[in-house]
Amino acid sequence: MSNKRRSILAISRLPLLVFSLAAPAGGTVRSARALCFVLLACLSAGAGSASGQSAAGKCMTCHKEKSPGLYNQWFMSKHAMHNVTCIDCHGAERGDADAFLHEGALIATLVTPKDCGACHAKETKEVDESYHATAGLILESQDAYMAHAVGGYPAAIAGCESCHGAKIKIDPDSPNKLARESWPNSGIGRLNPDGSKGSCSACHTRHSFSKAQARRPEACGKCHLGPDHPQKEIYEESKHGNAFFTHIDDMNLDADRWVVGIDYFEAPTCATCHMSASPTQPLTHDVGKRISWTLRPPISTMKENWRDKRKSMQAVCTACHGSAFVDGHYYQMDGVVQLYNKKFAEPAGKIMKTIQERGLLENPSSFGNKVEWTYWELWHHEGRRARHGASMMGPDYTWWHGIYDVAQHFYFKLLPEARAFGDPEVDARIDDLLANDPFHQWMRRPTEEIKADIRSGKMQRFYEDLFQPAE
Amino acid sequence: MFRKYRRFLKGLSTNWVGTAGVVLTTSAFVLFIFMEALRLLGIVTNAYVGLISYMVLPGLFLLGLALIPVGWWIYRKGTGRSTAELLSERFDPEILQPKATGSRLVATIAVLTLVNVLFLGAGGARMLHFMDEPVFCGTACHRVMHPEWITYQDSPHARVKCVGCHVGEGAEALVDAKLNGLWQIVSATFDLYERPIPTPVHQLRPARETCEKCHWPDKFHGSRVKTFPRFGFDRESTPSYTALSLKIGSGTGEQRGEIHWHVAEANEVRYASRNDERETMLWVEVRKGDDFWRFTNRKIEQEETGAVRTMDCVDCHNRATHVYEDPERAIDERIHRGELDLSIPYLKREALAALTSGYADTAAATAGIRNALTGVYARRFRAETAALQESIEDAVGVLQALYRRNVHPLMNVSWNPYPDHRGHRGGSGCFRCHNPDLVDAYGEPIPYDCTLCHSFLSYDSSAPFAFLEAPDSTSADFSMHAYLRDEFLRSASR
Repeated sequence: MSNKRRSILAISRLPLLVFSLAAPAGGTVRSARALCFVLLACLSAGAGSASGQSAAGKCMTCHKEKSPGLYNQWFMSKHAMHNVTCIDCHGAERGDADAFLHEGALIATLVTPKDCGACHAKETKEVDESYHATAGLILESQDAYMAHAVGGYPAAIAGCESCHGAKIKIDPDSPNKLARESWPNSGIGRLNPDGSKGSCSACHTRHSFSKAQARRPEACGKCHLGPDHPQKEIYEESKHGNAFFTHIDDMNLDADRWVVGIDYFEAPTCATCHMSASPTQPLTHDVGKRISWTLRPPISTMKENWRDKRKSMQAVCTACHGSAFVDGHYYQMDGVVQLYNKKFAEPAGKIMKTIQERGLLENPSSFGNKVEWTYWELWHHEGRRARHGASMMGPDYTWWHGIYDVAQHFYFKLLPEARAFGDPEVDARIDDLLANDPFHQWMRRPTEEIKADIRSGKMQRFYEDLFQPAE
Repeated sequence: MFRKYRRFLKGLSTNWVGTAGVVLTTSAFVLFIFMEALRLLGIVTNAYVGLISYMVLPGLFLLGLALIPVGWWIYRKGTGRSTAELLSERFDPEILQPKATGSRLVATIAVLTLVNVLFLGAGGARMLHFMDEPVFCGTACHRVMHPEWITYQDSPHARVKCVGCHVGEGAEALVDAKLNGLWQIVSATFDLYERPIPTPVHQLRPARETCEKCHWPDKFHGSRVKTFPRFGFDRESTPSYTALSLKIGSGTGEQRGEIHWHVAEANEVRYASRNDERETMLWVEVRKGDDFWRFTNRKIEQEETGAVRTMDCVDCHNRATHVYEDPERAIDERIHRGELDLSIPYLKREALAALTSGYADTAAATAGIRNALTGVYARRFRAETAALQESIEDAVGVLQALYRRNVHPLMNVSWNPYPDHRGHRGGSGCFRCHNPDLVDAYGEPIPYDCTLCHSFLSYDSSAPFAFLEAPDSTSADFSMHAYLRDEFLRSASR
């Protein structure tokens, strides 16, 4: 920002200099004017950023009328209180790809984490190191392939890229130099022309940049919802969400300091567990720092340094819960995640691999065959719902929207569709699974016998090993 | 003489048609003389009487004259005899006696015809004169013109005749206006007019002929300070002020870029607008001597064309006379003028609610405004408004008058029926051309900076001239205040 400020200063001081040099050439009136301008020039030099201020004053004058909502959001914000004005964020440097001259000031519409980082260095660094910042790199992923091939470019822009972030394109003919296909965009992993990744306004909605807003579950709910990752819905189902909406007025959401258990205690929000300060640890903008499992891929794995990460999360939990409660939760959660892994995800993956290796798929393109969709939804939709449900204490999402759907689609969609190829190797693999895998043997046994096994606890013993996370 | 005239009239009263003709003509003539006498003696002053004297009576007179020969014709056909026979039957032989100068009957008819011509000539002249009077325009088609008539009387041009702007001068303008008037009679009679009637921008005389008779660009100088008070919706109706120093000069010499620069003699601004509605510009051209700039709308396909117009007064001052008030601004202004008592709690909020609740007609509004205002203060603020009964009663009257002035349900004239292009309320007005979309060949837009046309002496501030004070460094508005103060000093000392 300091560089930006300097360039703005240079532009806006120039006329003053010209005036103060030219003015003394005239008569008395001119001299008076000259004096006036010299005084103004001195004042602006003395006040340090006075000329930057003058540019900002000009912005405000028009935008107060033209975009009163934007202006009033800013006016009521912490930024306004600390005299952080338009030009401090929107001022650009000569040579910036998205810079344009607007009413005598060189500005850019796009405010990137690099700009915010001029003041919020720690937060910017944390975001840059976080998984969030990589969200824009999905262009090579299956999701992006699907959006472009199965859906189409407009849906990819307005859908996927709105959350994940677009690669910002420059259009020299656009009034603000930004191409319409990538602006507006506040995707969390936006690829900015200055090389920075992400967009702070993904969570801190402009131009209020309100803490309260970013702390509420709705901030995350912009993207974390729907059939494939219904974190918002699971939170609403959970006791946590329940308590939050009941005690919303006691949440102290506007407070500067917001330590769980101390500054508020009725409920946690998404931010509480994943980012905000707890009595024993500071706030972090690296959203993955407390996450031990990755629940995103077809088969879940433990993350790097998962023990430390889990400890961090548990430190948040213990602000409100006893350690036995916390251990119990993790025990239950690990059980569901590994149940999904071992019973469904791994066999389904192997069956799909065999189908592909045997060249059984009719259409060569990915997603050109029904069985691929079945498998995709198994892990990407219901498989994730089950795992997320268990990790955030959402019972209905764990079972009915989760493992129930996984099981039904595994047994009665995936297996029949795989058998329909009539391939001996695929059939042999499925037969072996149903005959020899204790998780799946139930299908060929009488109901009463299974019921007896459930009552005796024999059935439960098949799953004993799933509660301990594998290294 | 009188008896002779009576006999002559009797002779003309061949049957009921002829009789009606004679009665109509005679009584219209006598009444006209009578009314004129009353007017000249100052007994009748109501201008509306002119409608009867100068329009109805001459009309009846002419009708009567036409009926007399019709009656004669029917009479002759009925009896089946010749004209000569009938004449001698109905008139004294002495007046039918042929003479060198023709019979007495011919002489009588000739004299009476002369009198008729004189009467009709004088009546016609009076009629034309009367039709130039605002009261004719405003009340002849009273339902259609009522909204315009009411707003005109309350306007800065209330002392300029309607025809001064709407007809202009010269025979051609007069004929145009009368032909146009014929159509208006037809459309008013057969209910063919639009409600509200559209603004006649395209029929107005060129401003150079009309407006510039009194206001000419060479004489626009300097600045004009206008203060816009705005009262809040809180209990105290807290005021805030925006005061503008409008740069209204015509931009001669070094003072370029002032508002009336557009109509300065040396400059010509031309434009074409979408559907010729003067709202969305297709392109704008500026010619100043040999210099020429052209700006095209980058959001419109350039194949689109529209009528080319040279800008004049009414492109901005399109509501110079028939000014319809915005309800909120109207209330702000009445409070500011002291017509509404600011000590009434929630005055602004309640007044606006009472005024703008959708009433079916004027009677409903008159009752509704009273109910709304007295009701809310009786029910919710009884104790604290006990001493304010008179003020509340006054407020009811002011709001009812405001409603009657601005809303005319019979003509579908509701609040803000027409755009006002002076200023830029609602993004229209100045911003029709001064916006980022109208760009030159290099992509540079027509300037649209706020301080181009006015400096700010306050902007939603607590005092009308807040920006003349030193800026407060702890306020969020510090930068804007400092900038605007500086800008005002700079442009005012130019």
